Amino acid sequence: MNDQYLTGKSNYFEDFEVGTVIKHFRGKTVTENEAVTICHMVMNTAQGHFNDHMVAQAYKAGLSNVSESLVYGGVTISIVIGLAYQDTGEQVIQEVGMTNLRLLGPVLHGNTLYAYTEVLEKQDTQEDAGLITFRHYGVDEKNNVVFEGDRTALVRKHPAYEY
Amino acid sequence: MSDNENKVPEFMQKAVLWEKGNSIPDFTEGKEFYHHWGRTINAGDNSLYTTLTQMYNPLYFNEPYAKNHGHEKIVVNPFLVFNTILGMSVEDLSEGGNGPFVGINDCKFHKPVYEGDTLTAQSTVIDNRKSESKAGAAIVTWKTEGYNQHGDLVVEFVRSNLLFK
Repeated sequence: MNDQYLTGKSNYFEDFEVGTVIKHFRGKTVTENEAVTICHMVMNTAQGHFNDHMVAQAYKAGLSNVSESLVYGGVTISIVIGLAYQDTGEQVIQEVGMTNLRLLGPVLHGNTLYAYTEVLEKQDTQEDAGLITFRHYGVDEKNNVVFEGDRTALVRKHPAYEY
Repeated sequence: MSDNENKVPEFMQKAVLWEKGNSIPDFTEGKEFYHHWGRTINAGDNSLYTTLTQMYNPLYFNEPYAKNHGHEKIVVNPFLVFNTILGMSVEDLSEGGNGPFVGINDCKFHKPVYEGDTLTAQSTVIDNRKSESKAGAAIVTWKTEGYNQHGDLVVEFVRSNLLFK
């Protein structure tokens, strides 16, 4: 099968306009399934992400703002970028970097995340691709912004062939 | 549950906690940490992470596609690389201080990682200053770097955390 059929048709470099804000189609309820799995997969040892009993005790003692395990921030970042990725990452040749990553509120198992992306900057750098800087926002079911961060990637231009 | 709290077994009474992690005074500017374990990223890691997070770019899960796009094999999802390096740094850097994440800046992906590559992490303290709002707490900033088995830098970033101790 030709590769052109494997990815979308309207998420190439030319399709993004600086200033546009995209609301991504799908949200996701964050469960222990992926939050704790990914936390362990990447060997993050901080038990505030997987020991509910310890967190509950810390909460009773006034040492924690939450009474159950917090979703590890790396998971929140991954899920929000993931929700934005079919639109802003499917044609990526290379991820370049990220900056200004901020976790602005707690995410607990059972919260639902939605993703929004603002196109901050475009730079036409080569014949077949260009750099785009995106600002991703992660919002929970109560419209609390729980994550924001900027990501720059090298995004492919429309191939020469016609669909 | 309350019953057992009154009759704690003897082994529990005599147990000594083997603590983990570092605290604020350990983070003097310029101090280096070589983090534990290292991690060979296998195909299962890459597929599981990529599909759980829905990062749908075929470079990370379709081998012929990756080959058609200039790679010898499937590319490891860069966000898994970033997360693994961050994860391996947690015990040395932020676990002991038990405080929240403040931010990450200046993350750069230098080189693609392929399935079967082995990542190691190291960090340098670049700042340690008292929190203005929380007595006894500090905001510590580290530069963290991830390397592959050939010693090539694959990712770097600057992370700050609030530490309570």
